[in-house]
Amino acid sequence: MKRSIRPWAWLMALFCLVAGSQAFAAPEDKPFAEKKIVLQISDQDAYKQTLVLNVASNLIKHYGPDKVDVEIVAFGPGLRLLFNDNSNQSRIDRLAEDSGVKFSACMNTMSKMTKVLGHEPKLNRDAKPVPAGVVRIIDLVDQGYILIKP
Amino acid sequence: MQKTLLTVAATLLAGLSVSAHATNWLQLQGTEPGGSTDRFKLWGFIQPQFNYTSNSKLPVGGWSGQNAVFNQIGPDLKSSSTFQLRRARIGVRGANFPLDSKTNYFLLIEAGQNGITELSDSAVAATDASVTLNHIPYARIRLGQFKTPGSEEGLQAIHVFNYINFTQVTDNLLLERFFDGDGSNIQDSNRPNGSVGAFRDIGVQVFDWFNWLGWEHSYAAMVGNGNGINRMDNNNDKDYYLYWASERVFGNSKGARRECWKLFGWYINGKRTLQFVNGVAGEQDFDRKRWGFGTTFRKGKMRAAAEYIDADGMIFAGTDGGAVPGSRNNADTATSSFNISPDGKANGYYVDIGYKILPKLELDLRYDYLDRVKNIDAQEREFNNWTIGAQWFFNKKTRMLVNYEIRDAKAPNFPSSAGPNQILNEVDNRVTVQLLAIY
Repeated sequence: MKRSIRPWAWLMALFCLVAGSQAFAAPEDKPFAEKKIVLQISDQDAYKQTLVLNVASNLIKHYGPDKVDVEIVAFGPGLRLLFNDNSNQSRIDRLAEDSGVKFSACMNTMSKMTKVLGHEPKLNRDAKPVPAGVVRIIDLVDQGYILIKP
Repeated sequence: MQKTLLTVAATLLAGLSVSAHATNWLQLQGTEPGGSTDRFKLWGFIQPQFNYTSNSKLPVGGWSGQNAVFNQIGPDLKSSSTFQLRRARIGVRGANFPLDSKTNYFLLIEAGQNGITELSDSAVAATDASVTLNHIPYARIRLGQFKTPGSEEGLQAIHVFNYINFTQVTDNLLLERFFDGDGSNIQDSNRPNGSVGAFRDIGVQVFDWFNWLGWEHSYAAMVGNGNGINRMDNNNDKDYYLYWASERVFGNSKGARRECWKLFGWYINGKRTLQFVNGVAGEQDFDRKRWGFGTTFRKGKMRAAAEYIDADGMIFAGTDGGAVPGSRNNADTATSSFNISPDGKANGYYVDIGYKILPKLELDLRYDYLDRVKNIDAQEREFNNWTIGAQWFFNKKTRMLVNYEIRDAKAPNFPSSAGPNQILNEVDNRVTVQLLAIY
């Protein structure tokens, strides 16, 4: 006699399929995001650091924190934005905690800076390490993010 | 008991944190923002101005009919109506190795016409040259030549000063002139032997700031030569400086004009060496002590400041007969000189308020009082000055200042008809107009 598949198993399979596709299609913490933006900071200019944070704040203010997904990718000299002694640290904390802005730190740059400094620089607690900043940007663009370099 | 103490200490430390965005003079002038400072930031400011008094002459005394020193414009003291490039400064500051925010530097050069350049016979002179090390928590170290921790009027950045001229109490007691003698040699003008101190010294300072119980607290302790700027010490005694400030910061405002209420106190102790005192040649050392306390407030359209200053030793005491130093008396028997009262005491204070009546226009009013050489009847002089001011802000970095100073002085231990009071009655009011551009 052929055994039938129980209904609960079908439901479980369906749930996994939906959850899995959501995980690849959109960030879990911004399920209602209608705009997806990646901001690039690769310049050591202090003004550029302020500018990229201003742009992120303005995007959040305009669309609302749930409707826009913003990720700031720092590499090269711009990685200093995510050092834990950066003067913008409290602002970065607020953007991450209150508005869900994500911060990605390039580990290629970290490696190079570690050699130059003689020790590994400490990163802001909100910074998420990524193997290569520029690759992270390419991946995000492939996922539909719009790249902006203020 | 030990456990209780540890608990108390832990509680205190838990409430103590380094401010991430706070600013104060120690921070603004001695450090750079972490992680965002360039290797090289060029900056400076220019202050052209016009000065005027009505040039009343000396009415009595050995120099009767000659120019009164207090009605001439310094540092040249040759005119009572003159254009002047009061300050022209250019400097660089930053983190010499941007990846490492822990080392900062500050260099500023003066090319204006003032007590720094004119009194040192130098067209260009360094006002600041320092390096700050930010490696030790709660103990940053600054070495070199820089503003000493002390009076608010001296410590503040001059390009955000709300008036053109310093109060008389600050000018006489804190803006130090360095002399070889006390002025008792009647054949010598006793001109300063170098630049004015410019509220600066060469030495080492330990300082930092932290937030605790909702206030930002900052401290500084410094040891310096006590011999002015751009030269080494002239004796083996050092000047010691202590400073404390506690500020209640309103909102997230930042920078030199942040909104806050500040309380501060300071103390300076040093020695000065003179080569000619009481008509006798010979090296002698004298104590020079200064201390004071005060408050500042800024919120919205309103700002205010007040400070008390006390001085013991090495009191600047005017000139002979009120004449311009170097001028011969009418009998051609003596030369007017700058005078110092090595054992004199003095005190004074100022109160200052400002209000922005328009977004681009601030009106200012200041009163300052000085009781000079108050412990020696014959030398005691009292000064009461009112300054009425206006500032027009063309933009954040350009403004025009207009000051009218109502100046009054008297010798309290002499009758009003006596010579010293007749001379002091001729102190003119002063008008000054200045344009300030920061770049």
